[in-house]
Amino acid sequence: MSQPVPPTLPPYLRDRLMQAVRSEPVPTRTDGARRGALVVALGFAEMAVISLAISHPKTWGRPVAYLDTLVVTWTFVALVVTWIGVGRGRSMLGRSPRSYVAMIVATPMLLLVTAIAASMHWPATLADASTPFRHAGCVLGTLALAGGPFVAFARLRRGRVARRPELTGAAIATAAAAWGAVALILVCPFTSPVHMVLGHLLPIWLVAALGWVLGERLVAVRLKAG
Amino acid sequence: MEQYAGGNPEAFIRVYDVVAPRIFAFLLRQTRNRAQAEDLLQQTMLQVHRARDQFIPGAAVVPWAFAIARRFLIDSVRRGPREILHDGTELDIRAATSPRADDLVAASELAARIERTLAQLPEQQRTAFQLIKQEGLTFAEAAEVLGTTVAAVKLRAHRAYTAVRLELGSDVATELEEPDAEGCLRPQGVRS
Repeated sequence: MSQPVPPTLPPYLRDRLMQAVRSEPVPTRTDGARRGALVVALGFAEMAVISLAISHPKTWGRPVAYLDTLVVTWTFVALVVTWIGVGRGRSMLGRSPRSYVAMIVATPMLLLVTAIAASMHWPATLADASTPFRHAGCVLGTLALAGGPFVAFARLRRGRVARRPELTGAAIATAAAAWGAVALILVCPFTSPVHMVLGHLLPIWLVAALGWVLGERLVAVRLKAG
Repeated sequence: MEQYAGGNPEAFIRVYDVVAPRIFAFLLRQTRNRAQAEDLLQQTMLQVHRARDQFIPGAAVVPWAFAIARRFLIDSVRRGPREILHDGTELDIRAATSPRADDLVAASELAARIERTLAQLPEQQRTAFQLIKQEGLTFAEAAEVLGTTVAAVKLRAHRAYTAVRLELGSDVATELEEPDAEGCLRPQGVRS
């Protein structure tokens, strides 16, 4: 079976398409980048407002160096995770599903490792004064703080065909939740590993699951009715 | 596409001229309905246009456009039963490759049998086969379109080849060569 020559396209198809293109102007890449930056800024502003609504950043008796270490390392992790989860690499279809899975699985673990390492250096932070109620509060806090970045990141990828929309949604959500975790440690007084896992890190997978569920709706391209 | 994303509106015509015929051939094979294929092509190219502001410099346009087309195709199938209209379209597609009338008839019959066999395969196997064998994409490009790994695409395509060979027997032994490891088609009748 030889490869067939593609069928000739009738000229009216091109004319019809060009007419549709002219009636639906789309900004250039430069303008798109500006709009994208604005959307992300608004998402993070929303996160900052919620964070301040929960509490003004305080040390709550935690060593300042411990807090600084955690904020710097978690911010670095969040940046890398955002680069993987929201950036598309060199393909218009996004990164490979394997990259997304690895990133989603590894993010809370990386944050936990850095938190435990920091706690080992400042043993006083290992003491557990948290309660299940506090864990639940931080779960809700993570969800609320991740909301702004999640909407912003989803807006960046909305309507862009992805290899696996649900996985892309989960990856975007994980990136947003990583930023939520960074914002939450500024306002949460509890530092024990148990609280970190239950209140700050497991909710990242909860947000990722939410992203998985919404991914098809948020990211996938859809045929317009009619 | 880079020029178009950078602000040159005329560059989209060149994108259309390069991409649209291949996408149209793919859609025509899948839908067997010229009007539906034209509509899906228009939607696909419009989607390419809509992504102008987010185009990544250096990104491959063809697999991306195929992925959009496939997505729209799946959407259209979900919305309604697949219409199979025998309006002579299949004959048109292959006419350019067969100069003689008897060759044309034989090729058309064989192609119709292959199409019927493919239609019975799972969608993922059928699409992998069509993207590689009929649309000339490499395994890597087909993997990108289908959102899976190269190994998975090879497996799906291999299963489709096996199914078609089993169904059609020796009639297609030399016609239906599997692509090599890079997804390139070998000359007909040459087996390694």
